[in-house]
Amino acid sequence: MREDQKNAETRTDPALHAHETLKFYFTPKHEPLPKDRPNPHAKATTFVPEVVAALQERFGDDVREVGLYANEHTVLLTKQRIVDVCRFLKEEMGFTYFVDCGGIDRFVDEERYEVFYNLVSVKDKKRIRIKVRVGEDDMTVPSVTSVYRAADWNEREAWDMFGIRFEGHPDLRRMYMPEDFEYHPLRKEFPLLGIPGSLPLPPQTPEGELTMDPFARAHGYIPVNSFQEPPSNRKGSNGEDKQAGE
Amino acid sequence: MPVTSFGQGITGGAYDLGGAFTFWPRHNEALLKRLETKDSWLERHQYPKREKDDPLENEMVLNLGPQHPATHGVLRVVVKLDGELIEKAVVDIGYLHRGLEKLAESKTFQEFMPYTDRMDYLSPYSNNVAWCLAVEKLVGIEVPERAQWIRMMMCELARISSHLIWMGVGLMDAGAVSVFLWTFREREEIYAIFDEVTGARLTVSHARIGGIANDLTPTAFARIKNFADRFPEQLRGWEKFLNRNRIWIDRNEGIGAITAEEALELGLTGPNIRACGIEYDIRHFEPYLKYDEVDFIIPLRTEGDALARYFVRLEEMSESIKIVRQCLERLEHMPGPIRTDDSRLAYPSKEEVYYSMESMIHDFLLTDVGVAPPKGAHSYHAIEAPKGELGFYMISDGTGRPWRVRIKAPSFSNLQGLEDMMEGSLVADTVIMIGSIDPVMGESDK
Repeated sequence: MREDQKNAETRTDPALHAHETLKFYFTPKHEPLPKDRPNPHAKATTFVPEVVAALQERFGDDVREVGLYANEHTVLLTKQRIVDVCRFLKEEMGFTYFVDCGGIDRFVDEERYEVFYNLVSVKDKKRIRIKVRVGEDDMTVPSVTSVYRAADWNEREAWDMFGIRFEGHPDLRRMYMPEDFEYHPLRKEFPLLGIPGSLPLPPQTPEGELTMDPFARAHGYIPVNSFQEPPSNRKGSNGEDKQAGE
Repeated sequence: MPVTSFGQGITGGAYDLGGAFTFWPRHNEALLKRLETKDSWLERHQYPKREKDDPLENEMVLNLGPQHPATHGVLRVVVKLDGELIEKAVVDIGYLHRGLEKLAESKTFQEFMPYTDRMDYLSPYSNNVAWCLAVEKLVGIEVPERAQWIRMMMCELARISSHLIWMGVGLMDAGAVSVFLWTFREREEIYAIFDEVTGARLTVSHARIGGIANDLTPTAFARIKNFADRFPEQLRGWEKFLNRNRIWIDRNEGIGAITAEEALELGLTGPNIRACGIEYDIRHFEPYLKYDEVDFIIPLRTEGDALARYFVRLEEMSESIKIVRQCLERLEHMPGPIRTDDSRLAYPSKEEVYYSMESMIHDFLLTDVGVAPPKGAHSYHAIEAPKGELGFYMISDGTGRPWRVRIKAPSFSNLQGLEDMMEGSLVADTVIMIGSIDPVMGESDK
């Protein structure tokens, strides 16, 4: 028997179609969802009232806000104390493992940016998130790389994406974008399409010049294919120059 | 003056690249400047011994990648060599940066799920599940039991397929081509299972918020069962071939060794941190799905070198098969829906959409508006992906699109340790080291 005929045979077997019978599980209800549903994915590790209490006792008014959502504690701190807080958490509370850190753009709110830190205590099975807020007038946060070395790349990424400067960082270069790029793409005002001309693109031919216009074809210029002879003897043949002349 | 493989000399402070790089010149300048100013114990240690003008031209700056088959993607490392010894290394990533975090802000929660396939493209199913679980935690959606067990089983298959690629490619880096063929034959079987279950081999996009897209067919169950029966024997064969293989052990032992303290400090994750003796596995740390109901152990080693990472991943594969077997047993007598019944939160089944007006309205609303968490809600959910802790931190503004998504990519954390591993080792071991930490650039570059 041919292979495809074998398949046709099995398809007609009613036992194999048992799972395809129509099933109506849902009866629509038109009522809002209850407000205080327990979160089915809540974890025990993220509920750390004793750590929050220790932070409040030690740092007093520098703990600005304590939040709890989905059984996760978030502590908002003043940014000047962030290094002390991290050192306290690492050395006295056992949060030795630095998981993640990153920026948040709150756009229209006061103190526009936020930086969060996700710390884990492997020994005690605990996870805490701490946050600091950064205003647009002073876009700096003390770097925690002196406490957690793992924060190095994460802080570079936050600098790259949001333009938040981390003071005391040993090597604050951009993480993903090249240094030639001038913008911070995860800010809310940065367009999703990117900014045309902000980065030079590779030449169309091995000996061609850099392309500055990513939408050359849309602007009426047909780029040279790589297998075509580059028009190297003629100046002003690539998209950018032509645009400039228009 | 040290000779660079790109541009001219780097000393003198001017970083004159001699026109070798017209493309992103400031980026290359910054990279070379970092290489020069970076403090390295080894260099300080060797400096007094070195002759000033370096007549033998031992010193050299070498650029590895981003286009190099052994770098597993578009990883670029610029190293400063003294003979064959790596004095310092600077890792440069971002060549596959697509701005996933930015893209997520303009998509509904369900719309972004296919993008996660393209993150760690060696285990797309885990990424789908990680994303859906994160959204489910943010909104508070309960997932039916059958869907959880299916998700778990498929995640473990994805882990095996990812480790198979790591193993085949890693051994090919070391010069053993036949293992590559064996592991790819097994991986092909897993891809056939994915094809049967999801309709796609690589970019599966099978998970849905609140469950999964469709139930498994009997053929799929039979295939998975067959694979679970057959695979351990294959694995034993490879163990026999490799565990006492002189060449493989000599090539890996002591390579890229780091201590437990260093691993914690550098933030390594996944098999890499477990190879250093730290028991950090999200499946035990914060059990998700049904991992607290299955029986498996976490392989641990204490050496922290490439060989320890090899053993950890190898043992993880047999543990995964154990989990798959338990899932199959449980799924056999477990009826029930595979997506949550509430179509305000999750897509209704297609049959329902075709026969019920309300369901069609809900289906339309879920596609257009999406499922909306409460305003100001924010939560983090992580899973143990094959590469390590894969987490999503999401902030909602009360609409169906996330206000901010932060992707905690395991490969990003693991690559951060690469510089430390490389410094002080031989340039020939670089390939083994990169293979042993198993980075995927699609994930680390986001």
